This record gives sequence, structure tokens and C-alpha cells, in this order.
Amino acid sequence: MPLPPILYHFFRSPLPYARTLALQERIHALQLALRRSQSHQDILLLLEHRPVYTTGRRQIASSPEVLAEEQRLTEIGADFVTTQRGGQITYHGPGQLIGYPLIDLGRTTPTIGIRDYICKMQTVLRRYLSESHGIVSVPSDNTGVFLDAHTKIASIGVQVRHRLTTHGFGLNITPEIYPWFDQIVACGLADVRQTSIAAVSTGKTSENVTVPGEIDGLVGRWGKVFERDMEKLDVAREGELAEMIRVLEQEAQYAGPWSRTPDSASP
Amino acid sequence: MFNAVRQASRTATLVRAARRPAATASSLRTFPSVRTLVTKRYTQDHEAVVFDDSTGLGTVTLTDYAQSSLGDVVFVELPTVGSVVEQGDQIGAVESVKAASDIYAPVSGTVKEINENLNSQPGLLNKSPEGDGWLCKIEVSKAEEVTELMTEDAYKEHCQS
Repeated sequence: MPLPPILYHFFRSPLPYARTLALQERIHALQLALRRSQSHQDILLLLEHRPVYTTGRRQIASSPEVLAEEQRLTEIGADFVTTQRGGQITYHGPGQLIGYPLIDLGRTTPTIGIRDYICKMQTVLRRYLSESHGIVSVPSDNTGVFLDAHTKIASIGVQVRHRLTTHGFGLNITPEIYPWFDQIVACGLADVRQTSIAAVSTGKTSENVTVPGEIDGLVGRWGKVFERDMEKLDVAREGELAEMIRVLEQEAQYAGPWSRTPDSASP
Repeated sequence: MFNAVRQASRTATLVRAARRPAATASSLRTFPSVRTLVTKRYTQDHEAVVFDDSTGLGTVTLTDYAQSSLGDVVFVELPTVGSVVEQGDQIGAVESVKAASDIYAPVSGTVKEINENLNSQPGLLNKSPEGDGWLCKIEVSKAEEVTELMTEDAYKEHCQS
């Protein structure tokens, strides 16, 4: 029996992190409820965030270190949110393409194990970079996509509950993310710097690399690696899922400007 | 001593006096010829529980299948001692390859003990998932929940499906 398509949607405006996390949680709850009748859908959300630093499950929100970071980083114009995903502190913002695959790992027989899921996700990103941009990445013991031991181009952080996934990956597209990344030791890797597709693409010049330009290619590769049809979600249609997405899309459009660069620390 | 108990568990009437410290008859909590049963069962989510009906404690672990599908464990989140859980409640999480995977209570009860070694040696979960890498011990409130879980044979089939 063929598997249903993965429904994908690309948000046009950068989204506030906390509201998007709430959307992920609502979709997760909806999937959990609908799974009983096997009528749940697999979703891939593609978007940028407004500037935000997020931490993973290992960092305790009320610990002094985390509270100090929160104060420091919100002062420079970013949001700060603690989450339940794996991985450590990282940055998301305009210029970085975020993918949230909200899928049921138990849909296939056998169930996709977590290590396999992360491996497939990395494969999608690595193949995409190579085939669309001639960017060669190297295998790494660290999760994510690296061009060499000290250069990272994509990060991954995932949460799995009852085989339903949330969170996902961040792929660096343009250089506007660098000054924000400079403010932290991303993912706990002190000797690693970030790069972006714009900086290293062999197919396109840097000005021609945009986040929206990457969507179709990435979606296609996801479908190939996961062996699923990819279908654009019709946001005008009936149903809870489409409505939740429309609402967030509208909120984002009216949310107003965000800091383009980190605000200087006060003297 | 625990191993001796497990191997002996299948035998019918068995004198348990050998497990107790040599003491007067009045200090023995159980009648000498009572049988203690140690039952191991499995959940769909690849947890296992080893229930010892003489202590009323169920030791919760992940299965070998779970640890191999997770990859190298770098962090284990465990419940607080004293928390009361229902079967199916989230009681912690395991992190590997930047993925945090929730773990669930296979049975209802009160958490009596957690494996503190996992804080400094999360890799124990990979090396000995059903032994030294145990997660926590729950004082089981509904013993029937244990027998309703999958047996080893049923679990093996589940893993292959």
C-alpha cells in the first residue's frame, strides 16, 4: 500500500520562534489524535525565523548559565527560547532555511529508527548541496553537515515522541547570519565556524542565492531520499492544519521589522 | 544474589529463607515456602520492565533494539524520585545524534530509585541497556499492568515486523 504524500509549506515571512514552536506542538497533538484512525498526515514546514537563540533539552532554563545567556542575547535584539530538542545552543534567523519535518517514523515497515532518520536528513542536505551547488561536504562524527572539520553549513536538532518528529534542521543560505552566530559557541563546538551556500556555491554567485530559491530543490531531494511523494499543502483548504498555518502566516506578515544585525552591547 | 533469584524463579514452591539474613523466624516477612516471581515484559516503545513481586519493584530499562536504533547516547533525563506516574506517562528522555527521544512509563506507580550512574556515564545505556544501563525502579501500583505487556517472544516478533 503506497504511503501518503508529505505535505509541505514554505512560509513567506520570517516567523517568530515561540509561535512556530506552538504550531509544531499543535500539529504533533493533531497527528497523535488522528493516528488512531490512521488519518494523520506527514508535514514538512520550511521557513526562516526572526533572530532567535534556542537551547536544547540538556540546558535547564532556570540554571544561572542559561539565564545569563538569555539576558545577554536578548539585549542584542534576538529572542531566546529553551526547547526539548536534542543538541545545544544555536542561532536561527533570516538567511537560514529552517525545515521542520513533522513525520511519523512508524509509518513505514520497519519503523525508521532515530539514527537512521538523522542519517537520512543529513543525506538529503548533503546531496542537495552537492547536486544543486557543487558543494562537497565531509562525513563527520558530529551531527550536522560539515565542509571540513571546522566549517559547518547545516545543523540538526530533533525531538521524537511516540515516533512523531518535531524540530529539524537549519541550512545556512546567506552571510547575514554570521554576526549573530559570532555571539555564541554554537552547538558546543568551539573551533567550528559557520559558512553559507552563498559563500561556497559553485553554481551561483552569492547575490543570486536566496532562501526562496532553495525550496523546490530541497523538497525534491527530501522526497527522493525518503521515497515519498511531496505535495504542496493547499493553505486555502478546509481543516485544522491549513487554518493553523494560515493564521501563523498572517501574524508573521503583520509582525513588523526585526533587527538586521545584533545591537551593539551597551558600553 | 539477584541472579540466583532470577534463575530460580520458574520453579514452583521454593524456600526463600536463604535470601533473608539468618534471623529468627519472627523477623521473616514471608512464609518460608512462598514463591517469588520475577517477570520481564516489553512495551511497543521498546522499554522493558523486570518486575519482582517480592519487592513490588519494576526495574525499567530500554531494550537492546532501542539502544541500537538510537545510536550513541550522550544524555539521559530521568524522573524525580518520588514522582507518581501512570502507565504511558513521559518519564524522561534519551539524547543521541542530536535527537531527544522521550521514554514512557511501562507501568503505573511511584519512582523509587533512579540510576544516577547514567548522569556521568550515559554510554552505559548502549553498553548494557538491560543491565547496568537500567533507568529507574518503580513501585508498581497495578501488578496486572505488568502481565498485560508483551512477553519476550511477542516482543521479538514486534521488532521484526
